[in-house]
Amino acid sequence: MGETTKVGYEKPIPLKTQDNHPYWDGADKHELVLQKCKSCNEYAQPPGPSCTKCGSTDLCWESQGSTVLGKVYSYVVSYRPFLPGFQNDCPLIIAVVELEHLPQVKIIGNVLNCSPDDIQVGLPVKMIWEDITEDRAMPQWVQA
Amino acid sequence: MASIKDRYAIVGVGESERSKNSGTTPLHMALDAARAALNDAGLEAKDIDGFMSYSENDSCTAHQVANYLGVRPKYVKDIMGGGSSTEMLIADAIGLIETGQVNTVLIYRSMNGRSGVRMGGGGWGVDLLQTAIEGGSFIIPYGAGSPSQWFGLFATRHMHETGLTKEHLGHVCVSAYEHAQRNPKAFFYGKPVSMEEYLQTAPLSYPFNKHDFCLESDEANAIIVTSAERAKDCKSKPVYIMGMAARQCVSHAHYWKNLDEVAADYVAPEVYKMAGVKPEDIQVASIYDCYSWVVLRQLEAYGLAPRGEVGDFVAAGNLRMNGKLPTNTAGGMLSEGYTHGMNNVLEIVRQVRHEYEGTERQVEDCEIGICTGWAGPDIAGAMILRK
Repeated sequence: MGETTKVGYEKPIPLKTQDNHPYWDGADKHELVLQKCKSCNEYAQPPGPSCTKCGSTDLCWESQGSTVLGKVYSYVVSYRPFLPGFQNDCPLIIAVVELEHLPQVKIIGNVLNCSPDDIQVGLPVKMIWEDITEDRAMPQWVQA
Repeated sequence: MASIKDRYAIVGVGESERSKNSGTTPLHMALDAARAALNDAGLEAKDIDGFMSYSENDSCTAHQVANYLGVRPKYVKDIMGGGSSTEMLIADAIGLIETGQVNTVLIYRSMNGRSGVRMGGGGWGVDLLQTAIEGGSFIIPYGAGSPSQWFGLFATRHMHETGLTKEHLGHVCVSAYEHAQRNPKAFFYGKPVSMEEYLQTAPLSYPFNKHDFCLESDEANAIIVTSAERAKDCKSKPVYIMGMAARQCVSHAHYWKNLDEVAADYVAPEVYKMAGVKPEDIQVASIYDCYSWVVLRQLEAYGLAPRGEVGDFVAAGNLRMNGKLPTNTAGGMLSEGYTHGMNNVLEIVRQVRHEYEGTERQVEDCEIGICTGWAGPDIAGAMILRK
């Protein structure tokens, strides 16, 4: 499913931090790993040092596997690169995607290979894994 | 706690020169704005015993401003804050006066917003952005580095849910630019935009084109707040604060998943309750306008137009001079200038005290106005003022 590794990837590479590294470690293995609060069962996306709903520090990480479906909850289409590295990506679709199996979880990403004429709220999409360097990967979306 | 309704007043407002390249520092501009506000109030610098400012690390300190006005106040404070900070600092000032810490407070915002640090981004390291922005690792790698994209996600969803169209966004822009034609100090003075031109303008980041974006400018604004008692001794006509409220909501400031609520939804009932008025009592408005859509969403939040009918409300011309709710009458941040919200506060003060009386800029007979601040969907503050 992964695309070929990009040579000289110029866009920002997701920064792993103390609070988010299991998510990105999972992504490197083409797996969606979400943080979850064991006290109130709220999923935390993005992950953090404690639960934003109840404040609990009793957190765990839960794999959702590699095959993830969703639908577009909202989107923007950028015709100008607002960050370095995106010069050749415009028009760039940035979408908030609601997961099919966990609608309360929303993942932001780009909808790739999609015309601005085709993007709309409710559009079914599936997660793909983009290999951006030899050892890093990030989830993206394409039309399902 | 005793109600603060009508017990505090804004007695002075002032600004520095507005430009795209000031050639000077935020400190110089802050001093110019402070002196203008003092002059407006008929006060001397030594009458101010509290100085406050907000910034994004792009300004000068309240300590410096007091110092170079030649005074040694009791209290100085600088906060990091967004576009609702004017209202929130006024609330802080009232709290300090109420508890006897100080008597009169000057609040300013100074920024080289075009020639120096630009809000719209540019020049920042992407790794820095990933750490500086909460949840940055989950948005910056996807090319989402501009507030236009962040707020655009809320806008697209809201438009989908309520039937708002591009043309409705256009009405916010066209009316703002129209107001700017009466304000020679507005950047877009002499540059009106028609709906036809608006609709033909290519998108920068759908749903927004360049007209939907606010300006960037180099400028400082200042406001002086004191008790109603002390206000009587000032040269200016006091504008009384009827009510104010603030709120934080949305679990992340930059990673947006609950796009259906904004902080303004929670501020609205509180501010009306404290002021003892209803939305229909409001006659003039300053609605935070970093993007056109933000105005539409707040009209809904503050009950100035019902959800689902906001589009019709603006299409009927209600934001224009003779509409039901003349809004951002100096042109707002879409077409006058941008000081992170404070220029809109200056304008509402001037409208409510009828400073433009006898000119086409005055909203006739307006007695009560609302001023809303929007740091983002996550933080809002609002204030209701009266003559």
